[in-house]
Order: sequence, then structure tokens, then C-alpha cells
Amino acid sequence: MSKITIPFGPQHVALKEPENFMLVLEGEQIQGATVNLGYNHRGMEKAAEERTYLQDLYLIERVCGICSHSHTTCYITNVEELAKCETPKRALAIRTLFAELERVHSHLLWLGVAGYEMGFETLFMYTWRDREQVLDCLELLSGNRVHYSINTIGGVRRDVSAEQKAEVLKRIDYLVERTNYYIKLATEEPTIFARTSKVGMLPPEEALRRNAVGPTARAAGIARDVRKDDPYLIYNELDFKVITHNTNDVYGRLVVRALELVESYKMIKQVLNGLPEGPIAVKVPMRIAPGEAVNHYEAPRGEDIHYLKSNGTDKPERLKVRAPTLANLQSVQYMLEGGWMADVPLVIAAIDPCMSCTDRAVVWDPKLGKKQTYGWAELRKMAIERYKRRGVDFSRLG
Amino acid sequence: MKIIDKLITWSLLKSPWILHFNSGACNGCDIEIVDALTPRYDVERFGIVQKAVPRHADILVVSGPVTLQQAKRLRTIYDQMPEPKFVMAVGACGCSGGVFNGCYGVIPGVHQTLPVSVYVPGCPVRPEAIIDAVVKLIQSVEGKK
Amino acid sequence: MSEFENEEKIKSALEAKFKGAVTNAVVQRKNRVWAELEAARLPEAAAWLKAEGYDYLATITGFDEGENLGAWYHFTDTHQIVNLKVKTPRANPTLPSVLAVYPGALSYERELEDMFGIKVPGLPPGRRYPLPDDFPTDQYPLRKDWKFVQPEDKEAK
Repeated sequence: MSKITIPFGPQHVALKEPENFMLVLEGEQIQGATVNLGYNHRGMEKAAEERTYLQDLYLIERVCGICSHSHTTCYITNVEELAKCETPKRALAIRTLFAELERVHSHLLWLGVAGYEMGFETLFMYTWRDREQVLDCLELLSGNRVHYSINTIGGVRRDVSAEQKAEVLKRIDYLVERTNYYIKLATEEPTIFARTSKVGMLPPEEALRRNAVGPTARAAGIARDVRKDDPYLIYNELDFKVITHNTNDVYGRLVVRALELVESYKMIKQVLNGLPEGPIAVKVPMRIAPGEAVNHYEAPRGEDIHYLKSNGTDKPERLKVRAPTLANLQSVQYMLEGGWMADVPLVIAAIDPCMSCTDRAVVWDPKLGKKQTYGWAELRKMAIERYKRRGVDFSRLG
Repeated sequence: MKIIDKLITWSLLKSPWILHFNSGACNGCDIEIVDALTPRYDVERFGIVQKAVPRHADILVVSGPVTLQQAKRLRTIYDQMPEPKFVMAVGACGCSGGVFNGCYGVIPGVHQTLPVSVYVPGCPVRPEAIIDAVVKLIQSVEGKK
Repeated sequence: MSEFENEEKIKSALEAKFKGAVTNAVVQRKNRVWAELEAARLPEAAAWLKAEGYDYLATITGFDEGENLGAWYHFTDTHQIVNLKVKTPRANPTLPSVLAVYPGALSYERELEDMFGIKVPGLPPGRRYPLPDDFPTDQYPLRKDWKFVQPEDKEAK
């Protein structure tokens, strides 16, 4: 059996990320995997030092389009802590509302991507169609479908009116119904189980050792969630469960995300029905007194942590962002090794990566001395074909 | 409804195949591009099909401010596309680097790496804007003929 | 300060265990403890913190303070965050690795090398992170004396 090295980084239809994974194959099985990053490096931390705190709000939002609210809220929490300002309760509640709406849109997005990777395109179309309801809510409340920029230093930019609240609740009721269907699908459909069970195994000791976060860790039974462990915004007043599963595989990650959707709907209803009265923002001076702050936030993908140092001017001294996917990448290496080529797209998709992509896979067989080029789409197709031959076929599900 | 008529007209004449490339974007534009495929916007009914291989594509849709690491790959992909080919720079980042203009890790704006045929502003772009951009692009090509 | 019992506990234990090497230890607020540590004791402190339940190294924040470079190590048990500051002279910056205790720290330590030029001995061979492959290896963007001037806009053919 010759060893084949595949530099693997997708040019993607549904997963928009460039992580370059180097896979060493022995036949069909993966012997070794390394993770190479940096395709998305833009130089934001340096730029942040040259912009004011308010300008940085809009810069930090664009660390990631899918979890933009996570980054601005974590950043603004740091700024407000250093400025020693009392953010009004109503503003915190509105931020929480957006946080959970973001989690819903992100998990639905992921469900669709996972379905697409498995070859279950109908699931992709269903979930993304339903996701439009959430984007409608976000657009209604903030003015934009993505990058809602609802935060400002000292509070939020816009208030929630009674009509908007009614519209959002209506859509959430629709989504609750649809999500129950997805949960049923995820837990009862044998084809999904066949593609995801025992795939991408990450036992709890390894998850802890490699500092995995978010649903990836919770699928290994690790009950860690920043919303419960170190509550921020108004999470200490909301009633919700931390969802874990114990199968340590992609199936577990699927179940965890689906059930987290249910908890998010619960929280959105609680926030909207209990919005505290009061102003939506307080004035904060442009110059922030010297100090340091660190805060973390449970983004849809896991713990997002920010560090901020102020120096008395209107620009930060140092701003550090560690997005959740970086913490999960070391675990991916472990999950890939010992697995099968056919499982690669799904395992990588299962950590819900938030980076950015485009490469082709080059397969070199040293024995034959030939080079062959594959794209992620071809690898995905090959994976689906391989599973079809084993009787796992989504096309009959329509 | 006028746009729909025009679309139907030339979708009979031409069915543009697009290749999407993320040159270091935050994914905001990318998920809106993918959104264009989903049932609410459903560009496939206009014949716009997303392809995965450069050799099959007519339009290269580029999102992102073009990070240093991606610039060479972007150029390579463009060079592999057969004529006639067009480039659509999507989002504020694609047009000018957007909020990343001034960052050391980017060559701001797709036009500094590839010749751009159409710019689509927005942060992120709306799916309707993407469809509109494809229409305008095709119309301008038809016009030239 | 009885409302910050847990925080006081870990702060005192840290000061006791690393007598003399820990300075400026403070309980900033609920769930936040900050302290400075002698760089040489870092791997020992990391192992000790892990045994005390701080089994997550959330991230490492490098900094440039002029005469010294250094980094904040943010340890957490997901409730509390214990932040340790270690310094190293600008003339010859180097920090010990904590990979043996926290294998998940690889990307963060590579970042210290790439962005600040702080040598971390013992890292496995591999591609640099996060800078692009052809970025010069003797330039450290996050240092305060590194300035970027954007080249003029040029249209491609």
C-alpha cells in the first residue's frame, strides 16, 4: 500500500473556508493529518490599534459573517468594562435576543451544510429556506440580514417595537415546528445515522486535552457552555439547558445543534416577553481610561475570547481575538486520523468551521509517479458514491 | 416583472455558469451567494448554475478583500478559465477592500489582481443584487455583440 | 471580599506555590484573576494550574511594551479566567513552550513567533501561522515599531 499525501483544502460550494488539510493516506485510510491555516489572515489586530473604538466595532464584526454579533458583543463588553459604564438592562436584553437569533441562523446553516456534505441536498434546501425566516427577523430588527451592527458603545442602536416583537414571535413559532421535523429526521432517519455514527470520533479525554469548545466538545459529553459557566448579558436570568450528547461523533454534533435550536427558541420567547423597560444606550466618552479586560462568549461554534488593553486614548493599545474554530482545529487532526477518506468532508464540516476556502486536492501516488487533481466537490461526490455502494443512499429520500 | 422577462429571454440564449471563490472574506457575502441558490431566490431557474471547476465556468464570482495568501491562487484560477470569461467582484471588500482597506494582509480590491467586469457593492451583498449583477453583465455582453 | 471567594483562593494558592516569582496578583472582578509571573516558571505554573482544574488554555495574547515583549496566557476552567503575564527582553525574546501541558496551544505559540518574533523552542516542524508563506520572516507585524504603508492602487490586466 503506497502512502499518498493529499493537500486538501476545498474550493467550495457550501462551505466557504480555506483551511488546508494535509492528509497522508494508506489505501483509503488516513494515517496522518496536519492542519495549515492562514488563508484568511488580513491583519485585523494591527489595524484595530490604528482605529478608534467605534471604528473597531465595525472592523471586528467582520471577523466572521456568520457569527458577527458574537465578536462585536464580546468586544463591546470589554470596552464597556474598561469605560466602567452601566449598560442599560434593555440593551443587554436586546443583545441577548440577537445572540440567540444568530445561534439559530448559524445552526440551521450548519444543518444544511452537513446535509449537503452527506449528499442529502433536500435537507440543505429545507433548512436554508427556513433560515430565511430568521434572516427576515434580523433584517426587521436591525436593517440587515448579515452584519446586523446592533451594538454601539454603551448599548444598542435600535429598539424593538411591539409590532416587531409580534412578527418575530410568529416566525419563531413556525421555526419550532420545522425544527421538530429536523430533530425527528436527525434521530430517526437511518441513512443519516449511517453517515454520521462513529464518524470523526473525539472521546472526552482527547476533547479536553486539545481544548475543544462548543458543540464539538458537548457532543463528547463535556457540559461546558460559557452562557452557564460565566454568564454574560442576561443569561443568568434565562431558563435553558446545556445540551450534551455522549456518542463523541458527528452524529452527536448533529443532535446537539438540533436540540440547541429548541433551547434558543425558548430563550428568544423569554427575552421578547420579558423585555425590561428603560433606555437602549448610555453615552460613553471617546477616550477610555487605561486598563485591561478579557471576556468570553458562547458563539454558535463555541467559546470566543477577546482581550483588550486601553491606554487613555481613543484607540486601543492591543486587541486580541481568538475565534472558536481555532480552538477546535487541533481536535480535527485527531478526528481525521484513523478515519476513512470518504468521511473527510463531513468530519471537517462537523466542527462548523469558520474560516475561508479554495484549493484543489492533489493526489500523488509515488508508485505510479502520477499526479491527479481533485476538487472538494469531486471528493464529496466520491464520498457519496462510496457510501451509496454500502447502501447509504439519500436520493430515495427525495 | 421587467427583469424577469429579460432574464427568461436570455436564459434561453445563454445559461451563465458561475464559479465562486472566497479570497479571504468573512463569509457574509459567501453565505448570501449560496443563499441565491436556495428556494427563496433560486437562481437555478434562470440557468445560473454554480460550478466547482474553473474550466467549466463563465463568470468568476470573487468575494473577499484578497488576502496575500490567496492572491496567487485567485490569479491561477482565473488563468485556467476559458474565454469568454468575466469577473464579478462581490461586496465592499471585493470592490475596494471594504473595511480591510489599510490592513497589511490584503491587496485591497479584486481589481488589483484580476480585471473586473462588474462590481457589486454591499456588506454583505444581497442575493437580489447578485442576480441583478449577472443580468447587467450579460446584457452588456449582448449589447456589445 | 468574601463575594470573590474562589478568585481569592486561586490567587493566594498561586502566590504561595510560586513565592517570589508571582507579582501584582489581583482579583479584578468576579471570575477574573490577573498576575505577573517570571517567564522561566511558566511551564511549571501551567502544569500546576491544569492540575487545579484550569484545563483550558483559552488563548495566548502577545504584546509589545517597548523594552520588553511578552504574552498573557489566559487559563480557564470555563468559570474563572486566570491571566498570567510573562515578559521577555526585546533584545533577545524567548518564552518557554507549554505544549507538553496544553497540546492545543500550538497555533497560539506559532503566532507568538510569527507576529512578535518571540522564539518558542520545541515547536514541531510545520507551516508558519498566521502569516502567508512568502511574508518575510524577519518582520513582525504586531510589534509597535512595525508600520504598514499601503502601496498605491494598481489595476490588473
